[in-house]
Amino acid sequence: MRGRLVFLWLLVGIPLAWGVLKTLENALKLFQ
Amino acid sequence: MTSAFLDRQSTVAGPGFNRFLVPPAALAVHLSIGQAYAFSTFNLPLSRLIGISQSAPGDWTLKELGWVFSIAIAVLGSSAALFGRWVERVGPRQSMFVAAVCFGGGFLVSAVGIHLHALWLLYLGYGVLGGCGLGIGYISPVSTLIKWFPDRPGMATGMAIMGFGGGALIAAPLSVLLMKHFATAAANGVFETFVTMGVIYFMFMMVGVVTVRVPADDWKPAGWVAPAQPKKLITTANVSVDVAWKTPQFWLLWGVLCMNVTAGIGVLGQASPMIQEIFSGKVTAAAAAGFVGLISLFNMVGRFFWASTSDYIGRRNTYMVFFLLGILLYASVPTLGHLGSIPLFVAAFCVILSMYGGGFATIPAYLRDMFGTYQVGAIHGRLLTAWSVAGVLGPVLVNYIRQFQIDNGVPKAQAYSITMYIMCGLLFIGFLCNFAMRAVNAKYHHQVGGKPL
Repeated sequence: MRGRLVFLWLLVGIPLAWGVLKTLENALKLFQ
Repeated sequence: MTSAFLDRQSTVAGPGFNRFLVPPAALAVHLSIGQAYAFSTFNLPLSRLIGISQSAPGDWTLKELGWVFSIAIAVLGSSAALFGRWVERVGPRQSMFVAAVCFGGGFLVSAVGIHLHALWLLYLGYGVLGGCGLGIGYISPVSTLIKWFPDRPGMATGMAIMGFGGGALIAAPLSVLLMKHFATAAANGVFETFVTMGVIYFMFMMVGVVTVRVPADDWKPAGWVAPAQPKKLITTANVSVDVAWKTPQFWLLWGVLCMNVTAGIGVLGQASPMIQEIFSGKVTAAAAAGFVGLISLFNMVGRFFWASTSDYIGRRNTYMVFFLLGILLYASVPTLGHLGSIPLFVAAFCVILSMYGGGFATIPAYLRDMFGTYQVGAIHGRLLTAWSVAGVLGPVLVNYIRQFQIDNGVPKAQAYSITMYIMCGLLFIGFLCNFAMRAVNAKYHHQVGGKPL
């Protein structure tokens, strides 16, 4: 159950983290 | 066998099931359907299907393409209202599956429309079919999460609805990446991107379908005891969906959501030109895109932050903060513009947009407090019609008032001042609706055999 829990959170967390990073990259242009 | 798997009864969790498996299941659905907010990424490429590098005669116009998103959002609100009771009856697994078929299928039908250059197939595919996927998918996990987290309903639903905000952050770069990958000298890769995204989103939503479980009727979190002294604005009774919408509380909450969303959505749609016009010559188009990204991020984070905070300070107080702080911030925007302070201007909008997202994410828990858990998903579905109304009202107010001002000789940099004050007025109406909130009269409570459910 614990392994499944970690796997599922990674499955949704990785794409979300990627999207957030891409957005932050773009957002930095505002302060350049 | 398939229908048995989708059946509500097969999703009842056995003893020892970890309830923290349910939020990622809900997130898998919301992160997918949140793609809708990034649909504008396709507008330009779709308007150049024939001309490739620029629009050619026979290409679809941006105005015609704008309807795809509008239809999808209108269908989202109506399908959530129409299918809410069905979602409650069949349970989260079946409704998430239908949402996955509709949303993924919507992309595939639209891809056929792109291939045949038939715009009506885009309206039907992404707009109607995809819109049904959006509406059903949005409400599917809400009541399940509330039942799994009676101790933290705000946090649980906030987590899922945060996914809807986060979906756009993933979809925008993903769409660009895929279109770049599939582009050739003869085509810009939109057709292949739609097919790929349809398949990816269907599979990702299926993760939620397979994982989701409902708790057994008598289940409670280990060690959790319902408060002995119930709070004034948290009911222990239940109200059915057909009765709920006849109560003043439903319409007050409808007003609360509608005003909060109207104030935020108009700004969200106009954020890029607005910052460029107010700080003319100081903010480039690329920097404005950064501003849009930043406020989208706060829109997402606000969903989790404010909904979780509402578990501690109460739902009514949370909306009081939204309305009072919102009025203060909107009223300060014209001054910040005159002062030329970009950091303060950006900070004000980051907080405003966090409260816009927070408004969406806190409303399911507010509904649960007022009407109980019995048909909260269906009631939430009907309340989402406020979103459809706000989706039209917000952009119309911002765009038309701005244009009216410019037509009457007001400089572009100052054309938003009146709009901001009108937003303050809308938030004040929302404040009054929230202020008037009282517990639902006992005559509306659902009874079985003369006893409260």
